[in-house]
Amino acid sequence: MKDLVRVKTLISSDIEALLNKQIKMEAYSSSVYLSMASWCNRNGYDFSSNYFFKQAEEERQHQLKFFKYILDMGGNSVSPDVTNIKQEYNSFREVFEEALDQEINVTQSIKNIYARCLKEQDFVTIEFLNWFLKEQREEEYKARRALELFEVIGEEGTGRWQIDKHVGEIKYDSQA
Amino acid sequence: MYSNLSDHPHLTEVFTTAHGAVFQNDTDRCWQVNFAGKNARFDYRCLLKLRTAVYRIDIEQRLLDSTKSPDVEIIFICACDHCYVLSLAQIIALRDLLEGTFVMLELNQIIYDRLHRVPAYI
Repeated sequence: MKDLVRVKTLISSDIEALLNKQIKMEAYSSSVYLSMASWCNRNGYDFSSNYFFKQAEEERQHQLKFFKYILDMGGNSVSPDVTNIKQEYNSFREVFEEALDQEINVTQSIKNIYARCLKEQDFVTIEFLNWFLKEQREEEYKARRALELFEVIGEEGTGRWQIDKHVGEIKYDSQA
Repeated sequence: MYSNLSDHPHLTEVFTTAHGAVFQNDTDRCWQVNFAGKNARFDYRCLLKLRTAVYRIDIEQRLLDSTKSPDVEIIFICACDHCYVLSLAQIIALRDLLEGTFVMLELNQIIYDRLHRVPAYI
């Protein structure tokens, strides 16, 4: 009996399901960042707003990368429903705390797919995921650095204004 | 009905239960699902859609449902020629059949890999 399933697709249905879940997570992240950009803009934190606009666009690009990969491998990409996006935040700091939480969730989810790929010996998808693991180093660094600014500058006086200004300058240029 | 496989040498039995059977047609690259009194042909995409449609039915919720709605489910698969109208017992039987079929297809892939694609492992 021919192996017709393998002829049609390179990835297993389990990996396909996990990648589709990741598409949804990236889409959710993109929407959350957009909501954060809106909140920051409304509250006078323009540099942070621009920072979150860029982050929203990046997450959208990540979503598309997963989407196209599944299709290229012969699978079925599912365009996700994105609902329950928080629109209001209690403080400037809370926005960045939730941004870091979001990035940690994404990293953990990608690690979970990686572990499954190792189990199935799906080295093709592992190679695809390597780009995302490196990307998450940058994403987590930036989110963590933004929160660090709250500690080193402090929120008193013109602190929040200073923090906002420095958020726009956060860069990750590690060659490691 | 493909009860006698010798009449159809291009078909290979994938999985059989008391209620139905699935055969693979290597020549046409498709599967024949023999269930609920009909023999339906599915390509790979449609077979996956059938599985998704059947798995999506909440059997437990239907068992607990005490309303007087009819105990049947219409399984319609988009862009596929076939449609099933099944009772709850038939849905359970079809789910069994599809679960077994996909396990066998996965097993076939492992065997095919070992025999033809990566013979160095043998």
